[in-house]
Amino acid sequence: MLVERYRIEFGRYATAMVGDQDTAEDALQEAFIRAFQSLQSCREPSRFKHWFFRILTNQCHNARARRRTEPLDQHDTPARERADRPMEQDELGRAIEGALNELTAEQREAFVMKHVDGRSYEEIAELLGAGVDALKMRVYRAREVLRKKLEGLNGA
Amino acid sequence: MNDKSSELSEDRFELALAAYAAGIRQPASGLDNAVMARVRSLSPRGRRGFLQWLLAPQRVNVRPIVLAFAASVALLLMWPGRAADTGLASAGTVLVRFELVAPEASTVSLAGSFNSWSQDAIRLVPSAAPGLWTATVPLKVGSHEYLFVVDGQRWIADPTAHAQVADGFGQTNSIIVISPRGVVKS
Repeated sequence: MLVERYRIEFGRYATAMVGDQDTAEDALQEAFIRAFQSLQSCREPSRFKHWFFRILTNQCHNARARRRTEPLDQHDTPARERADRPMEQDELGRAIEGALNELTAEQREAFVMKHVDGRSYEEIAELLGAGVDALKMRVYRAREVLRKKLEGLNGA
Repeated sequence: MNDKSSELSEDRFELALAAYAAGIRQPASGLDNAVMARVRSLSPRGRRGFLQWLLAPQRVNVRPIVLAFAASVALLLMWPGRAADTGLASAGTVLVRFELVAPEASTVSLAGSFNSWSQDAIRLVPSAAPGLWTATVPLKVGSHEYLFVVDGQRWIADPTAHAQVADGFGQTNSIIVISPRGVVKS
């Protein structure tokens, strides 16, 4: 079913974009409903995926903006699983999650698609409608911001 | 900062990226039903429901090759002591042959409710007939929705499926129904 397909394809993207699983589920649900309500504006049905992705991304940005204004205790389902990894790796992972807030919206989109979804630059370009070179630059800058933030935290 | 410490920092940075990505959660599957429940509440067409569709009279178009395959499966199922040689892959599972004519395609795969809509799990292979792609897949008894994925990008319904069902978003999925006796409607 279409909802299942796009939840699987874009679910982790949504979680990484908003920062917690519950908010990501809300954003996905709202994106599906908005897509359903405005199907007439999808002029190219063969590009439904790209159209839906843009709606979802907007929902994620809105959800993040709302999330920043809410008390922390409302976010009870973190984005990341407790994994069976060495403590240092887990701490570094959490540090990245916190540092993502330093990125611009465009940098965050590109970074998440590259490093969380593992997409190629060509795929990202297709979904975002941006050039490959521009995307490489966004990801590079995002990595630099994150690296500096981590170096600051770790005193490296 | 000397070269050695830079290298170490780069390693730890890559480790951090990998640890972060590996820990990101997938939203729960319960979301699918929640979305569809809201969609149905918005759509008079959606309220009809799949069960009603199954119970209502439907026009069924069956390709001769599929009919022959289904008939042979049914015959073999009824033949005493021959179940192991039939289209049954295992108890409650039937082998189903899917076909798509796509002469321009480089790859064709099958995605559906039976494989979590994975694009990569079931690849069709070119047959001797020009442009014809086929795959034989074990499916459980019941109703399944599916689509073909051409060249990893174009999702298309099976033009020969006996029924298509609206996915609620203006597109359609193909339907295949398999009975407990192994008879396939497609």
